[in-house]
Amino acid sequence: MKPRPPTMRAKRRYILARILPYRMAADQKQVYLSLIEAATSLFGDAAVGFAQPAVVFCEGGYAVVRCRRGTEKDIATALATVSAIADERAALRTVAVSGTIHALRRRMKPIRPLSGAGDVKFGETYFTVYRYPRQKVDLVEKGIKHQKSLFFTEVDLEER
Amino acid sequence: MKITDACVHPYPAGDSTLARMAIEAAELGFDSIVAIGDAGNRYPGIEVLRGAVICAASQKEVVRQVRSPAVRDADVVFVNAGDTSFNRAVAAVKEVHVIRNIHATRRNAFDHVAARTAAERGVAMDISMAPIVHLRGTKRQKALQRYADILSLQRRYGFPLTISSDARSILGQRSVRDIRGLCALFGMTGAEVGEALSSVGRITEPHQPVRVVE
Repeated sequence: MKPRPPTMRAKRRYILARILPYRMAADQKQVYLSLIEAATSLFGDAAVGFAQPAVVFCEGGYAVVRCRRGTEKDIATALATVSAIADERAALRTVAVSGTIHALRRRMKPIRPLSGAGDVKFGETYFTVYRYPRQKVDLVEKGIKHQKSLFFTEVDLEER
Repeated sequence: MKITDACVHPYPAGDSTLARMAIEAAELGFDSIVAIGDAGNRYPGIEVLRGAVICAASQKEVVRQVRSPAVRDADVVFVNAGDTSFNRAVAAVKEVHVIRNIHATRRNAFDHVAARTAAERGVAMDISMAPIVHLRGTKRQKALQRYADILSLQRRYGFPLTISSDARSILGQRSVRDIRGLCALFGMTGAEVGEALSSVGRITEPHQPVRVVE
């Protein structure tokens, strides 16, 4: 099939969103389902159908969302109302909006856990410690499913 | 002009400590936050104010709680909204700074009489982002209706507004840009959002006549 000439194609915008918590390895499809659920409940089927949102890829703790030009503010607002991805508490924070994925890649600064992971015990519960830059510490309850997460800093951890 | 998140609930009420919430708030574009139930500390890049929430059924109980040491030490005193007569009475209490939780009340619980009193006394109404972010369906629609109603009263009578994330976790905190988008859902303009985000500073340090100190 002959591709549509560039002047006839719909203009697109790309939104870079950071996925929180940092350790979450979000699947592209799960992010898409969360986005569609949030956008549809906020703006309705007609508006979301017009905006044509799609998740282009998820990597390094970021998601790149594509939408029709002119609807990027609505989609960014919908991203702010995402509170769970695949039944796990999460947040999507808009970092930048651009006309090209190339420009957004320059804004991606992957945050990787620092060395020094370990275990701590609060009361009767054991937590796994994940350390991140800027003295951020995420504590994840040890277990198989629905683990509790706590968000501390190095100073908070030392005081306990 | 300080951009302030008017209400966060740090650990143990939530799952994130005050220090962590302060770091996140600074990254999200805030200059200060009001933390409920925690001591006001200084963190690099952000000011943390102490807040206290009064949950009462009558004005008498509010006045009694306002005199407790925990509330007297607070920089910002919040009262959870109630029915029409309660809100009218609370708006006239001198020590109260902000009326919050208006989305959980009945329609017209905050009416034009309460709005006029709030404007005269400088009592602010809090707009929480939590119902818009976390609720779905009719509950969110009702919250948006309440906020639109509050906004129309604010435009008429000119009482202050504050905006809070009401976050109990860093996952519930939202950036200034996201807050602008969420507030646009009920018709708030960018200038009004900017004004509301900076109103906590005006509430805690109101304009007063110049005094000559010898």
